[in-house]
Amino acid sequence: MEHFTLNHHGKGEEGEEEEEVDETLPLGLRREAIPRHVAVIMDGNRRWARSRDLHVRSGYEAGARSLRTIVELCCKWGIKVLSVFAFSSDNWFRPKVEVELLMSLFERGMQEDTGIFLRENIRISVIGDLAKLPEALQELILNLEETTKNNTHFQLIVAVSYSGQYDVVQACQRLALKAKHGLVEPGDIDTSLIEQELETNCSEFPHPDLLIRTSGEFRISNFMLWQLAYTELFFAQSLWPDFGEAEFLKALLAFQQRQRRYGG
Amino acid sequence: MDFNKESQVSCSWYAQIENCLLQLLWHLIHVTIDLWYFPLGIADVLESYLISWGLLGRYKSFNVTKLRYLAIVVDSEEVFQTSKIIKLLQWLEAVGIKHVCLYDNEGVLKKSKNFILEKLDGTILFWDAHENDVLSDRQHMTLEFVSFSDGKEAVVKAANVLFMKYSKSGATDQNQKDEIFTESQMSNTLKTVGSGGPKPDLLLVYGPARCHLGFPAWRIPYTEIVHMGPLKSMNYGSLVKAIYKFTMVQPNYGK
Repeated sequence: MEHFTLNHHGKGEEGEEEEEVDETLPLGLRREAIPRHVAVIMDGNRRWARSRDLHVRSGYEAGARSLRTIVELCCKWGIKVLSVFAFSSDNWFRPKVEVELLMSLFERGMQEDTGIFLRENIRISVIGDLAKLPEALQELILNLEETTKNNTHFQLIVAVSYSGQYDVVQACQRLALKAKHGLVEPGDIDTSLIEQELETNCSEFPHPDLLIRTSGEFRISNFMLWQLAYTELFFAQSLWPDFGEAEFLKALLAFQQRQRRYGG
Repeated sequence: MDFNKESQVSCSWYAQIENCLLQLLWHLIHVTIDLWYFPLGIADVLESYLISWGLLGRYKSFNVTKLRYLAIVVDSEEVFQTSKIIKLLQWLEAVGIKHVCLYDNEGVLKKSKNFILEKLDGTILFWDAHENDVLSDRQHMTLEFVSFSDGKEAVVKAANVLFMKYSKSGATDQNQKDEIFTESQMSNTLKTVGSGGPKPDLLLVYGPARCHLGFPAWRIPYTEIVHMGPLKSMNYGSLVKAIYKFTMVQPNYGK
């Protein structure tokens, strides 16, 4: 499996962070208009494989390569957070063999890229109903999150077994328990308190500025429902394994040209 | 020293020339891209006009029954163009759309609902039709008016109802299984607090921003979202095209 290499944004000899910021943005991109948080619905892996008469595994592996490319570009262009919708709550209804394949690919990808995350000062966060995942994968995720929690250059949020409705409900559950233990007054519960309990609160920038969905579908498919209210939506025609630098640049250029709304 | 100064001046000149060339290249790239997309844009506009004039057969009559519930989001800066909104609703009725939900963030359309209903013969409120069990009546279009208060704020209200039930239930941490609340409980509670309308199949956004501007998110997990551009530039052809495209979609919903 291919591995990506990045300009070194890791830690210096004395443990202090050295910022080797790559100032080279593609022509047309303005530094001040780069989104801080980009979210991606990585759709189209299976269609990509079917169109090439390949096994679905090839599609997912190609998708993983695309993800590495986009992570590298985010680090290079100064995007601070990338959230990716890797496995939705609905995906559990896929054939068992395919689900097991995906779980094994997640496990392998995390194991193989741990060194890169550490070297490149990348923080990994995984959100979703992780209790449904195989135990070995749960343990791997916990260890990876713990190991990378102090990394500050870039954050990759991977949504696995996740849905936006699940996120809202679990936030309400947390608040209910806090209210029961007297930590919060029920009458004080408002939108702000719910937001603090959403799983995206693991990030300094919990609300995506830009959402990209590939494969020509025009839905958000139960992804970050609460968080996407004022997120710019970009629907790309290409399938996820084909989504590369040129398409990403197109999405960012389109983002820069748009008038944002930040309603109340 | 003079040699160093001359060298610095030369470097400065070279840097300026390099900057000029890069800027020229940037403009050339943008012109090339614009020239590429210009004919595509013209074709799109032309197609919209041909649709409006009824010259494209496939758009003249197609089955809209798949589009059971349509939502329209209007940007706050354009929401006062009531005549445009009424015209849009008349177009939708002409196409055969039966149930429409109108949204703007601040609830301006809610406040104008009586005025809008007066201008559209036979149109009634969705919830009135629901209560009187006349939703299937094909003669009338129904309208629902929602705003930000029906979105996140409604979820807060529903959460508070659930909290009260939970605290009264006497459930302890020891006998808690996996969940205190479920998604279906949240859906049902949203209905009881008055924010449980149908999930739109298609959501059309009118305004400069390509986002849904806070439309009740619980209702749009699988909704197709199409940005239509500013309301002032709306045209019948683009509307029909967006609806037609929706009727051709075959989603798999992640399964």
